[in-house]
Amino acid sequence: MSQSERMIDIAGVHKTFVADHGTVTALEPVSITIKEGEFISIVGPSGCGKSTLLRLISGLDQASGGSIKLDVSGRKRPVGFVFQEPVLLPWKTIIDNVRFPLDTSGISRGQGDKTALDLIKMVGLAGFEKALPRQLSGGMRQRAAIARALSDDPPILLMDEPFSAVDLLTRDNLNDELLRIWQSTGKTILLVTHSVEEAAYLADRVMVMTARPGKLKCVHNVELLRPRGEETKLDPAYHALVAQLRRDLRTPAGEAH
Amino acid sequence: MSGRFSAAIDYTLALAVLLFAWWLATGPMGLPTYLLPSPLRTWNALVTIALTGELWRHLGFTLQNIVLGLILGCIAGIAIAYVMTRFPKLAVWLDGPLVILQTAPKIALAPLFIVWFGFGVLSKIVLIFSLVFFPVFVGAVAGFRALDPKMKDLSKLLGLSSIQRFRQIELPAAMPEIFVGLKIGAVQALVGAVLAEWMSGKVGLGYLMTFASATYKTPLLFAAVLMTVVLGLLLHVALTILERRLLSWKGAARG
Repeated sequence: MSQSERMIDIAGVHKTFVADHGTVTALEPVSITIKEGEFISIVGPSGCGKSTLLRLISGLDQASGGSIKLDVSGRKRPVGFVFQEPVLLPWKTIIDNVRFPLDTSGISRGQGDKTALDLIKMVGLAGFEKALPRQLSGGMRQRAAIARALSDDPPILLMDEPFSAVDLLTRDNLNDELLRIWQSTGKTILLVTHSVEEAAYLADRVMVMTARPGKLKCVHNVELLRPRGEETKLDPAYHALVAQLRRDLRTPAGEAH
Repeated sequence: MSGRFSAAIDYTLALAVLLFAWWLATGPMGLPTYLLPSPLRTWNALVTIALTGELWRHLGFTLQNIVLGLILGCIAGIAIAYVMTRFPKLAVWLDGPLVILQTAPKIALAPLFIVWFGFGVLSKIVLIFSLVFFPVFVGAVAGFRALDPKMKDLSKLLGLSSIQRFRQIELPAAMPEIFVGLKIGAVQALVGAVLAEWMSGKVGLGYLMTFASATYKTPLLFAAVLMTVVLGLLLHVALTILERRLLSWKGAARG
């Protein structure tokens, strides 16, 4: 399988918007090239533009300048997006929610059901196909949201702090499952997070961003062995990276956050 | 289930007490029939017009007007609310006229509707429509405006067409608020239907009432009044069933 070396090519992308008191820079020019199948974490404080960057890549917002190229050969929906909240349709069952992207692109019901059932099994929700979102826990709803994002098989998965609303234990589980899903599907994943531990544990590369104005400060390669698991969290190299990320994020000269 | 059963017993008991009091007033206390006919006389009047078929003609006419008015009022209320939330500029234009129309007492406009739309069925439906439209409209505006912005992101990501977006996301999301308006509108619709028939025409439960009172047939008047009560209950039940089907996903929240 030939992999694209430039799955996501971001060149000088920046974003400003007009507020009451003048223009605000949400994101200073960012350039980075992401390979197919890479797992990228983006870590930074609130207001560093990490969610903005994700929205620009997804096409939800337009950049003020620069270019974003996706090597996806004209697909209608190149990216799957997982929001901070699950954003499921509360009147649809889990399987109907997962099948929703397929239903709205003219895939037959039978084919859609088959895909949706496979995905529901993959995210560990087998047996909850007919449940309504409100009947599930926060973590289970987020699993359903991941299944929906994957349902029409986009090559790129963008995740905007997907696990920030679930408890720590659930979060650890979801992280491991995400790694398993990533390994079995070969998606290119960009995951935005507040947590340096999560960023280091999951990614091939970690983009560190700082706030006011939002900019990309540095990118770290993560050399930790795959597959990762509990032993990774005991690895001194993991701790060194987490400590480094913390130092990177600390604002200079005691500037208040 | 047992809650529903005990509620049914409560209703039946309350109804029985009411009937007993009614009978007490007409029988032992001896109120004259032209003031208050006994339950039996009322029942007889009702059975008589039911057997001649007269009842069904009047009931059918009123029901048909209410249903038509409700459907048209809902469609227009939802459509205009949607257009206004999609095009805020238009909302600025329409807000003033709509507020004036909304605050105008529609009942007071009823004679005008008769002048404009005649003595027939049209003026009646227009009156019912005007009474249903505003509560549904107000509810729908609230519902469409309350849409989670993340839902808009979702429809943009999926590249949904306007029709898909409306049918799959915006309309179902606004349905709870629309229903609040619809329930108010349904009560208003019955009032409007009866009132319109008082004023003109030769058919309908409202007409039956004016006919009965003008000819001092108090038992018939009571029968007609009872039928409007039954009609109101039927409407309520129908809407509740519809609500349970459409809004079952809302879960336990129920009034």
